[in-house]
This record gives sequence, structure tokens and C-alpha cells, in this order.
Amino acid sequence: MPERFVARNPLAAWRVWDGEAVILLPDDSSLNTLNAVGTLIWEAADGETPLSVVVGRICETFDVEHTHAERDASGFIDQLCQRSLVSVSDSPAPRA
Amino acid sequence: MSPASCEQPRVAELSLAIAGVSAEIATRDPHVADVVRERYKGFLSGDGAAERPRWRIELDAPTSASPISDDVVVRPDGRPDRFVVSRGDLSGTVDLAERRGTASLATPNEFAVDTFLRIVYSLALVDAGGLIVHAASLMRRGRAFLFCGRSGAGKTTLARLSRDATLLSDELSIVRITDRGIHCHGTPFWGELARAGEDCAAPLRAIYFLRQGPRHAVEPVSPRAAVERLLPNVLFFAREPLLTARVFDLAATLVATVPCADLTFRLDAGFWEVIDHA
Repeated sequence: MPERFVARNPLAAWRVWDGEAVILLPDDSSLNTLNAVGTLIWEAADGETPLSVVVGRICETFDVEHTHAERDASGFIDQLCQRSLVSVSDSPAPRA
Repeated sequence: MSPASCEQPRVAELSLAIAGVSAEIATRDPHVADVVRERYKGFLSGDGAAERPRWRIELDAPTSASPISDDVVVRPDGRPDRFVVSRGDLSGTVDLAERRGTASLATPNEFAVDTFLRIVYSLALVDAGGLIVHAASLMRRGRAFLFCGRSGAGKTTLARLSRDATLLSDELSIVRITDRGIHCHGTPFWGELARAGEDCAAPLRAIYFLRQGPRHAVEPVSPRAAVERLLPNVLFFAREPLLTARVFDLAATLVATVPCADLTFRLDAGFWEVIDHA
């Protein structure tokens, strides 16, 4: 499977409380709250970390099977894309 | 005669101060001047500038076609810190860098004036560490309490039930975070009570999210839950990333610093006892 790189929408304002992220998008003032797994993905979405590495972290942190974690993470990232919270690329973002 | 010399003179220049943010209101329209004098009389420092205003707000009759939308629309106009404002009964601009707001009022009544001032202050306050919140606020024993909720949540009811408290607002409250602490300020922005708050401020003791119910109860909420409840009640129109991030930070600081709780209350003043013992 080709590697994927997830990047947070740079316009999003966000903060993590008790391991759960709350995200505000300026475009539509929508408020999104993520659970612990979603927050791990969100915090790792720096555009440079391969999704395979993120899935590995999910397996370690939450003691889930790799195939299961990969499928759920991909589905979740698709949802975040639909809400314009992240973008996905097949190459890492250039370092600033 | 030059075009400039044909310009009508300003008939009124009024100094307004809300939550410590002052503005000079200028208008050529005598009716608008009367509206401002009457509607904001508790927040005016008299005709002419008693203190040097930081903002200048010009309110006048329309010079162009009215916008068609009834919704408030505030959008960047391509210049930094400058926004175009429109609603069915007004169109204008707000320039944060120049600290200047201008509006053409199709119907120069108190609703149009109040709408524009709410928008200007929602933007101006961010720079001053302030938020306008859909909330009643009351001052009691030198401390302020914020009661947050949408229309119908009970803000005005709660204000009516609090005869021994000083009204800061029954509809739109202002909270400012400064190096002197977090204070709640009285505002002239009223709801069903149709009465302005007192022009005063007090340290904010707690934020309550309103629910009407069969008994009085206070249930603390986490900062995460509190920010989810608070943000939809923050009056903020501009969909601009830097301002939005600043509003988010202010809200996050607020809920992390001030105790937050759900307040269930029934229609009597007994909720104060529950608050006093919380």
C-alpha cells in the first residue's frame, strides 16, 4: 500500500484537554471534538509523519490489532478530509 | 465650491465606552443621534470627547443600494484587518487597524444601530482580550456570575429572579481577560428585559450553562465540555483565521481559569443558595 501523509488544516484553532482535542475551523465556525484515538491521529498529522507510523502508535497505545487500526484510521482520516480538517498527500510536506 | 465643502456637517459626536473600550460615535442624522443618546445613555460620557476615544464609528443614511440578505455577513474585504459588514438594514466596514467603523443604515432605528455596534464591539474587544457572550451576567457581593445560554434558556428569567443582584446584562455579556484578571462588564446590549446593564465590572467568579429543570443543581463541567458549551455562545461573526484563533484562545483561557458548571434551575430565586454553596 502506498504511504500517505496527513496534514492538519493550518487555519484550524485547536487545543487538547484530558487527551481529547477540540478543533474550531474559521471557515464555518464548526466545532469538532475528537476522542483519544482521533486526537492521537490529529496530533501526529504534521504532514511529515507517514500514516504507517501513526498506525503503529495507535497499536502500541491502544493495544489494537494492526489491520483493524489501519482500516479505522483510514476511515477516520477520510472523515476529517470531508470536514476540511486535514489534507492527505502521497509525499511528505516540505519542512518550513 | 469644492465637493468637500458641500459635505454635511456632523450633527453629533458622542463618546461611548463599553467594557473599557471607548468609541466616538459620529452621525449627520439627528434621528440616529437621538437613538444613540437614548439607547446608550448609561454608557455615554457626554457630548464631545470627555476622554480620547480609541474607536471612531460613523453612522449615516445609505449612499448605495441596500444589501439583500437578512443575515449578518462579516467578511474580509481583501485588506488586512478590514471587514465588510452587511445585513438587510445596514452595510458598512470595520477597520481594526484604523479602529474605525462606518455604516449606512437603511432604516436608522435602534435595531440597526445596535446590530452594528454589537458587530464592531465583537471585533474590537478581541484585541482587548474580550469576548461578547450570549449570557446573562449578574454582580453579587462584588463578584460577577455568567449565565450562558441560547434564546429560551432562561437568561432573562434568571435576571428577573435576582432582585438583590446588580444587572450587567440579560442577553449579551462581556468578559475581558487582562493582566488584572478576568472581569465581567456591564453592557447596553439587552434582551427581553429591555433594560441595559449597569456600567460597571467585577471579577468573574463562575460560568454557568443554563438548563431549566425541576430543582436547583450545580454540576461542574470539565474545561473541554465547557469550551464546547461556551464557543457556540460567543458572538463572533468574522470567519478569519487569526481572529478565530484568538477567540478560541480567549475561550480556552476562560474555561481553564474560571470554574464552569451546568446550572439546572426552576423558576424561583433559590438557585443562588445552590450557587453560594457550590
